[in-house]
Amino acid sequence: MKRWINTVAVVVTLGLVALSPIKLALAAGNKYTIALIPGLTTDPFYITMHKGAQAAAQALGVDLVFQGAPEFNPVTQVPVLNAVTARHPSAILIAPTDKVQLVAPLKTASEAGIPVITVDTFIGNGHYQTGTGDADFPLCYVASDNVLGGEIAARALAKAIGDKGKVYVSNVKPGISTTDQREQGFKEEMKKHSSITVLETQFNDDDANKAASQFQSVLARNPDLAGVFGANLFSAMGASNGAKQAHSTGKVKVVAFDAPASIVPELKAGNVDIAIAQHPAEIGYFGVVAAYAHLAGQSVPPLIGTGFTVIDKGNVDDPNVKRFIYSD
Amino acid sequence: MLVEKKITKPAPLAGGEARKAFRWLAVLAAFRAWLFLAILLAAFELWARVAYGGTFVFNPLNVKSIALFTVTPLLLALGQTFVIISGGIDLSVGFTMGLSAVVTAHVYNWAAQSGNSGLSLVVAVAAGLGIAVVPGLINGLLIADLRVPPFIGTLGMYGVARGVAFLLAKGTTVPVQGGLMGAIGNGETLGFPNLVLLTIAIILVMHYLLSHTRYGQHIYAIGGNVNAALRAGINVRNATIALYILSALSAGCAGIFYTAKFSAGAAQAGEPVLLDSIAAVVIGGASLFGGSGTIIGTIIGALIVAVIQYGLVFVNVEPFWQFVAVGVVIIISVLVDQIQKGARK
Repeated sequence: MKRWINTVAVVVTLGLVALSPIKLALAAGNKYTIALIPGLTTDPFYITMHKGAQAAAQALGVDLVFQGAPEFNPVTQVPVLNAVTARHPSAILIAPTDKVQLVAPLKTASEAGIPVITVDTFIGNGHYQTGTGDADFPLCYVASDNVLGGEIAARALAKAIGDKGKVYVSNVKPGISTTDQREQGFKEEMKKHSSITVLETQFNDDDANKAASQFQSVLARNPDLAGVFGANLFSAMGASNGAKQAHSTGKVKVVAFDAPASIVPELKAGNVDIAIAQHPAEIGYFGVVAAYAHLAGQSVPPLIGTGFTVIDKGNVDDPNVKRFIYSD
Repeated sequence: MLVEKKITKPAPLAGGEARKAFRWLAVLAAFRAWLFLAILLAAFELWARVAYGGTFVFNPLNVKSIALFTVTPLLLALGQTFVIISGGIDLSVGFTMGLSAVVTAHVYNWAAQSGNSGLSLVVAVAAGLGIAVVPGLINGLLIADLRVPPFIGTLGMYGVARGVAFLLAKGTTVPVQGGLMGAIGNGETLGFPNLVLLTIAIILVMHYLLSHTRYGQHIYAIGGNVNAALRAGINVRNATIALYILSALSAGCAGIFYTAKFSAGAAQAGEPVLLDSIAAVVIGGASLFGGSGTIIGTIIGALIVAVIQYGLVFVNVEPFWQFVAVGVVIIISVLVDQIQKGARK
């Protein structure tokens, strides 16, 4: 599967290269180094993003450096960013771990002449090159539209529960731009479904055990609970396990955001009903392409939105769907 | 046989006329963990009845969920109780648990290729416990032989175990193929979740070890006064190494249970639980300066932490109050401990 993606990536990129002035830069022998700093290094999402970025780097003939911190935290990410900046790469792709705290260190990089592109998460409000505010200096934001992702999750869940009943969001912790937006999109969409009640959001600190216990507590209070939206992997894993322990698997529908390999057996066993896959490889790929285009003198759009795939028991074995499961 | 049995049990209530005024306070303090738990349960029951006309304590789903929820922090806390009684601390248990969870998942998948899932389970559990011994042994050697302070030594091991766990898991969760692991992890025997029953068995072993063996007495003696323990002829080095191995094994069990419960091993499985587990030991009456603490206290402490977190969701309180509530209970516990010490003087 990996080889297949790479092949497609190479073919597509070769096509692009052949048709664009990028070829000239290659011919001129410019060897760029692009640094990719993920939100955390230990997450299948970013690992898959790295693979997409590698495919683009290989196709374009640039060096890719992948360096990050083991946890999603600005305190550990900023030193990594500073170290990378000190080596002065041609461009930095970064998934900032905080909307505010990463602004100053990224500005330092930008002022040193290193173009900055944010992937997956953003700084400021995510609207760049607007000439307003102090966080509009990144060139481009490449990501899934997480608000849209939340809406898609809400629509899928509403359909699964027959458009009525009580649901809640199992979330990590507040302040993370992406999971906040998923929750926001989910709640906005659910407002259009008048027979669905959205209960208080539960924050689990990325602890599956806690998410499971919270599920059971919410269920004990609301025996008519119809569905739960797990805004990330551990939230969904916890909710589905909570359902299993409470013998309510199938009765309470579980929608999971993100689709690492471990989601497949859960979908097949019916523990998780729907998984919303982002396309992290696409994010990495187009992040590198955008950086390269800028370095080669091309203009770059300030926002590149990547897609989603809705996965359920019925389509999980379909090769066109399966390829969006995050690989490790 | 220099050390008499029960000599090192938590101090008996102080006698004497001058101390009489504080006596009621001391009684209260001795049972503070039980008292807290009772008050909490009563408060949630009242809250549920008044606000929703429902029951909290008598809802079987609540009881089962709280029991299951307590398993992980309690397992980390059981080993930690021994370490804290000895005057040490083990910060590495969270990632020892994660390491064990990942190794258990990998080994189970590898062994399951043979087609014998029962045997694979045994091999996987053995591997999960075996790998846990490694950080425990290194912790013990660092602390006993190289005189590294426990806080620093185990903090270092926290990083090492974490790194190795993530490396082995390749940064992702490791799903377990095949149903036996998940069937046991989520199954029930006579209506009781298997994981809860297994945890009770581990509790009994730990309780026996701490309060009915000479080894347990040595731990209290080391925590009370390490020089006196040495003079009494206790092999402090070996006892210390055994302590950290015990703590790691306890965390290893938590890791194996995690993999069984979620049918997947995750390196970060125990990370968020570490502080809750230390809180459980402290709320349960153990002193971070060593020399006191009991397994039963730790169980009550773990239940208190779990009941607060579960109950506040049940009564639908804004989630962030959970942190505040657990923090307040820890502070009150330590305050009561201090007052109790004052009463004894």
